[in-house]
Amino acid sequence: MIGRPVDRVDGRIKVTGAAPYAADTKIPGVTCGYLVTSTIGRGRLTGMDTAAALASPGVLAVYTPFNPLKLFAYVQEQNDERFPPLQDTEIRFFGQAIGFVVAETWEQARDAAGLVTATYDQQPPVTEFPGRTLQAFEEVEEVVGTQTVGDITFTASYTTPFQHHCAMEPHATVATWNGDHLTVYTVSQGALLVQRRLSETLGVDAAKIHVLSPHVGGGFGGKWGNWAQVPLACAASRALGRPVKAVLTREQVFAMAGHRPRTKQTLAMTCTEDGKLTSIVNDGVTSRGLGGNWSESVANWTLTTYASPNLRVTKTVVPLNLGAATVMRAPGEANGSFALESAMDELAAQLGVDPVELRLRNYATLVPNTGKPWSGKHLDECYRLGAEEFGWSKRPKQVRATADGDWLVGTGMATATYGASRGQASIKVRLHPDGTASVSGTAADLGTGQYTVFAILAADELGIPVTRVRPDLGDSTSPAAANAGGSNSTCTNGPAVQVAAKAVQTELITLATTNPRSPFYGKEVSYRDGSVSSGGLTMSFGTLLTTCDVGGVEAVGTSPRLVDPEHGFRSFGAHFCEVRVHRLTGEPRVTRWLSVCDAGTIVNAKAARSQIQGAVVMGIGQALLEATEVDVSARFTNANLASYLVPVHADIPRIDVRFLDHSDPVISGLGAKGIGELGIVGVAGAIANAVHHATGVRVRDLPITLDKLL
Amino acid sequence: MHAFDYAAASTVRGALDLAGPGSAFLAGGTTLVDLMKLDVLTPDRVIDVNALPLKGIRLHDGALRIGALERMSDVAAHPVVRSVHPVISKALLLSASGQVRNMASIGGNLMQRTRCDYFRDVTSACNKRRPGSGCPALTGVNRNHAVLGTSDSCVATHASDVAVAFVALDAQVVLRSKDGDRVAPLEEFYRLPGSTPDRENVLGPGELIAEVVVPVLPWARHSTYLKIRDRQSYEFALTSVAAAVDVKRGVVQDVRLAAGGVAAKPWRLRAVEEALKGGVAIERTFAEAAESAVDGARPLAHNAFKTALLKRTIVRALLDAAGAR
Amino acid sequence: MTTSRRQFFGQAAAVSAGVALSAPAVEALAAEPAPAGLVDVVFEVNGERQKLRLDPRVTLLDALREQLGLVGTKKGCDRGQCGACTVHVDDRRVLSCLTLTATLQGKEVTTIEGIADGDDLHPVQRAFIDHDGFQCGFCTSGQIMSAVKVVEEREVRTDDQIREAMSGNICRCGAYPNILEAIKQAKAGDR
Repeated sequence: MIGRPVDRVDGRIKVTGAAPYAADTKIPGVTCGYLVTSTIGRGRLTGMDTAAALASPGVLAVYTPFNPLKLFAYVQEQNDERFPPLQDTEIRFFGQAIGFVVAETWEQARDAAGLVTATYDQQPPVTEFPGRTLQAFEEVEEVVGTQTVGDITFTASYTTPFQHHCAMEPHATVATWNGDHLTVYTVSQGALLVQRRLSETLGVDAAKIHVLSPHVGGGFGGKWGNWAQVPLACAASRALGRPVKAVLTREQVFAMAGHRPRTKQTLAMTCTEDGKLTSIVNDGVTSRGLGGNWSESVANWTLTTYASPNLRVTKTVVPLNLGAATVMRAPGEANGSFALESAMDELAAQLGVDPVELRLRNYATLVPNTGKPWSGKHLDECYRLGAEEFGWSKRPKQVRATADGDWLVGTGMATATYGASRGQASIKVRLHPDGTASVSGTAADLGTGQYTVFAILAADELGIPVTRVRPDLGDSTSPAAANAGGSNSTCTNGPAVQVAAKAVQTELITLATTNPRSPFYGKEVSYRDGSVSSGGLTMSFGTLLTTCDVGGVEAVGTSPRLVDPEHGFRSFGAHFCEVRVHRLTGEPRVTRWLSVCDAGTIVNAKAARSQIQGAVVMGIGQALLEATEVDVSARFTNANLASYLVPVHADIPRIDVRFLDHSDPVISGLGAKGIGELGIVGVAGAIANAVHHATGVRVRDLPITLDKLL
Repeated sequence: MHAFDYAAASTVRGALDLAGPGSAFLAGGTTLVDLMKLDVLTPDRVIDVNALPLKGIRLHDGALRIGALERMSDVAAHPVVRSVHPVISKALLLSASGQVRNMASIGGNLMQRTRCDYFRDVTSACNKRRPGSGCPALTGVNRNHAVLGTSDSCVATHASDVAVAFVALDAQVVLRSKDGDRVAPLEEFYRLPGSTPDRENVLGPGELIAEVVVPVLPWARHSTYLKIRDRQSYEFALTSVAAAVDVKRGVVQDVRLAAGGVAAKPWRLRAVEEALKGGVAIERTFAEAAESAVDGARPLAHNAFKTALLKRTIVRALLDAAGAR
Repeated sequence: MTTSRRQFFGQAAAVSAGVALSAPAVEALAAEPAPAGLVDVVFEVNGERQKLRLDPRVTLLDALREQLGLVGTKKGCDRGQCGACTVHVDDRRVLSCLTLTATLQGKEVTTIEGIADGDDLHPVQRAFIDHDGFQCGFCTSGQIMSAVKVVEEREVRTDDQIREAMSGNICRCGAYPNILEAIKQAKAGDR
């Protein structure tokens, strides 16, 4: 069953509109909260006038830093906001939460929020990047070797702009209290992330906070953190004694709910005349939003990608008056790979070596910065299979050598790798008298297909059809499983599902042999394909439970965190693409795509393929379209889905995906690594390389828009 | 969104009677409702005009006449429009999305507001929205802004695609008020920003667009609407060109050209038209003629590329329209 | 003037703040004209007659979600920029976030909850499952409502034409290639 294409088990509820997302929660008497946000980028609030809003129809309360809802400081370092909202008057970024209006209806709250005015002691916000006037600091991330000499040298700088996750579902939270117990329906990449944050800031025992996040409308990192609407809805609900629903507007999501930081990488590489790298230096600069703490280790991808005896990577962090920068699909790798994969293409051109061949000549059979062996690596097979299927050998060596009518045609390729790890996870499997099995853990399905992974693995282990498994995710009362982030879900939770599904068989056997009502009482039994057998008698677990009049048996299985200092763990892949650029008007269009992935065991071939395709789509956006602009006011000026351009249907060609069939036995018995992020790594580089091949123009600053190709 | 009175009118007279200072006519709502949510527009009264009899697409008196309440999708699909003036259909089909085209009316399309992100954000200064408050786009993020017809007060573009096609075709709009009808060439219907960018057109208070009248021009069937943008669909133009060209024996007899995405209003390219007439219909002629398209252009920090892009868009559109492959 | 009307408005709006009024209550209310600032609208949703007395600011999207309990239609941007809120009004696909409910007098609205035939999925819904035409599912209602109409459009035939016709529906998960395949399957079945 593992590895075959399986329809999503949540498919039916998603195509009928029945899947419940946070904002869909229906609670009688629910009120609406609407955030008021700062209209300057830096300074101090000196006063707020809420009288008009308070007098506005339907308004129940207006909270501000001058009339705050008490929230305690955040304790754990997290990649969301540094400070809980409304607790101080400092303005760190444009669009910071400075007020929260609660009213009977959404229309009333929205209108009243517009009536709140604020006065500020304003200072000029810092938005320049890399910037001359900033308190940037540099740290050396890692150095291997000290030599930076070779026959050939290549140096170039690459930049990437601010980008936004733009999950289709805006951040939403619905909070309701029953005595001192809080129930929260919210967007999240992990229910426990919410529970922990709320426990800190509300001063409430985590055991009294029930977080429900069964369906999440996309995350991509933007729902790892908890943004202002989460604590405000909960605290306001507590203060008012009414349920509160708070949904960020799309503009607010842009301003306050995280973004991919702006980066610059300066790569200096040396190699021998036959193209063997002798050193790579990557000096990375990343922005950090003063709304948060997190910054991106943008240059670190250089440490693990190609063999080189000398490696040096630095990171300079530039704080800016912006909301928190946060993790966004392959944080570090998506931007980092754009620079290195472009540079490898440039170096290949300089050497007159085929880009695939250059990568093979610098193939890292050991982890470049540690010298350890890989748990499993078949990247060379990705290159070779990809090149063959794509028809790479027919590629003209010269740039600007192919035209189709008025369109210049070029091809490019790039490497993808993303780290893999296995954390600890606990999963509960319960067998029910109706013959179904439920599988639960706090994991999240953001569209990743985690529900279906749970169903497949449990069905496989229990020997029953997938349709008889009911996965139950996104509930903080379930056993603690992996959050959805870092491409970690399946490789961490998957083995735990297997362990739990085995463990429940033991419980079932115990029941069968010890329950006096059981026909197997006192006998030797075995479990197979959903049934218990002994001698000639076989009985399905549903019938057995019914016969014994037992409401279910269950077991929690825990798969421990993998501690393996001996190996390096990554998923690998290679992208090949064709790009067309109009000879007159310069617009670049991706017209063909092939990704070959080596990511260990693939549990569901169908959803896995979709996930790689989706990551490539996001990478096409990163390469050609996406950039959030900031002006002197420190406002993201294009904070909406008409001006911040994510790909639409018309931008996306057929995307072919191949998975190599190599399980990784070192990471787990299941052998699955991660695929959520792998697919976007290298996409922008492959496209930049194809654009260069088509036009002869090398664009080192994303996005590659037509004005750079005229 | 501020509170308002809602009234549905069933006759033009009734709609005009309801209109007054602070009122707004509602047709498809794709501009009005959007901008009301952003508090950019705050009418006290919204007059639903969807039931008014301003409909119909017909050929009459040598002109294609399109009722102002016809939806973009219906106009684009109409066989008469497609046979008489295919460029109108093409421009519409490259606008917005299928859903928006099903909602938005032709009259509303002509009245749509700029997509300038400063205009749309009420926390920003904007001379168009708040006269005298300033124009942050002049020195701010202005890649999408205009290079032609701008002023020191405003550099916003006009966002309509079909208006570009209409202007190329010398379309007129019939404006209806209590005083009766008047007719204005669409090109003159729109005002340049000058020092009053808040006054975008010549429509008087309580006046409605009733009809668009497009003269039939038989050779203009050889036409195209070319729209250049970063995203392949569902985006406003960086540049666009409506082109109709009459080529006989390889020589340009007559030509109509107008541009979008680059100017404060749909921008007729008369100098380019003149330069093309009598020329050989080849790329070099087109390129040379296109040079004058950007006379007087005022590029800003991020949109200087639009001058080159406009010229190339003109060339590409002419190649398409002339079939001069 | 504005303030006083707002004031009045809000008091009256409390009547309509909750779910849709029950049928007898509406009949009683409808017998007399709506109080100033509120409007009465009678329209059909998924074949059922609905009478709402509401604040004219309420969009169709918010009326469906907050008053009629039909939460399958999603609010992705509330600005007409993403397509997640696509529904059919009088058999045409439109954006419910830019539609004021007050304008729907006598109209027929169909939402994602209204296209299946009981337990039998609409062919487009089936095709979306078959081809994995979604991931997170949040844009899916809008994609499907759009796709249902695109399947019917005979002039939309080639892959590129389908892509263009569907470009008003953004999918950030990037299910576009699979949605294309789903629509092609549904079109093949439709012939």
